[in-house]
Amino acid sequence: MPDATAETALLRAEIAALEQLLEIQERTVAEQTERLDVKAAELRRSNYALEQFAYVISHDLQEPLRMVAAYTELLRESYQGKLDANADKYIGFASGGARRMQELINALLDYSRITTRGEELEPVALEGVVNDALENLALAIEESHAEIAREPLPWVRGDRVQLVRLVQNLVANALKFTEPDQSPRIQIRTTTCEREVSLSIADAGIGIDPRHHARIFEIFRRIHPKRFAGTGMGLAICQRIAERHGGSIRVESSVGKGSTFVVTLKLEEESS
Amino acid sequence: MTAPIDILLVEDNEGDVHLTQEALKSAKVRNRVHTASDGVEAMQFLRREGPFTDAPRPDLVLLDLNLPNMDGREVLEEMKADESLRTIPVVVVTSSAAEQDIVRTYALNANCYVTKPVDLKQFLHVIGSVGDFWLQIVKLPPKDA
Repeated sequence: MPDATAETALLRAEIAALEQLLEIQERTVAEQTERLDVKAAELRRSNYALEQFAYVISHDLQEPLRMVAAYTELLRESYQGKLDANADKYIGFASGGARRMQELINALLDYSRITTRGEELEPVALEGVVNDALENLALAIEESHAEIAREPLPWVRGDRVQLVRLVQNLVANALKFTEPDQSPRIQIRTTTCEREVSLSIADAGIGIDPRHHARIFEIFRRIHPKRFAGTGMGLAICQRIAERHGGSIRVESSVGKGSTFVVTLKLEEESS
Repeated sequence: MTAPIDILLVEDNEGDVHLTQEALKSAKVRNRVHTASDGVEAMQFLRREGPFTDAPRPDLVLLDLNLPNMDGREVLEEMKADESLRTIPVVVVTSSAAEQDIVRTYALNANCYVTKPVDLKQFLHVIGSVGDFWLQIVKLPPKDA
């Protein structure tokens, strides 16, 4: 049966071709796995370097700074009003600078700890995350007479402590960047598209000029350093947390029109 | 009147030595603060070697971690490995709040770990409290233990 022989030959050829394809794919997978392993090792190394850096900052830089802070304070306590007005002013500048530097070092340490001290990602109820964040800000919310509207929120995949931090930073900004004669109005809601949750925190505050939108997520970046206190690390920390969760953060805003920060996270089934 | 409590302060930073002495002056129990500026000097003091042949046995050691020559961890390790020194309580007082330092010093049998506060008032308060706790509340082992 010539037809059958031809068919067998054809099948054999097809099998050989498939086997070859499989072999190529296996090789590609092996190569990609190796590349990923190399990348993972690089990441581990850079994480380790970052952790060491944070450690050096926390110890070696804080030690001399503590001396400056302590002794300018001692100078102020012992000699304020006993020297001339300029001396009092200089001591004030020196101790203010030391305090400020301490805040910046602590903020930088917090920033580096997001990746080095993070917990495993697991199912987290956003509802509880927002509850905790608002509770931590209870005093500021009460004092500013803020109105906070919120909708039911889903579960996401995340590090609970870090998500509380993220929401807290965003709500704290919404409370802070409002005209002094107005009460903050904040809305917290989510939209879900396939497996992605977009958590948005919107305010009716002073807003941000679009030309600053990219820069506000940089470390130590402050747009209104004279009007509002802070380290300029809040949004940088938010961005790093979002990225660690495989998500992102963006802002929609213009001057005088309020700001909406949108964080994308991974949807998760509700769990007990 | 009972003999004053002897404290060995192991600290290389003169500024901190001064602040610690000030804080302990107001402690409720009479105390004498002796200082060693690095780990080698601290071990000589504890073993009454070199310039310290007449040194008293301290009732309490306040130990900084980052020291020149021999650091605080090594001092702690050597003290706790030495039968005649291991009963002396060691309070680690350091500017590091790093978890790795806290875990490691407790693993080396430090008796407690205190981070030096940045703020002057808090610093004086914390060191004063450490002094009051260890000198007044805690029962220390007898000198010949």
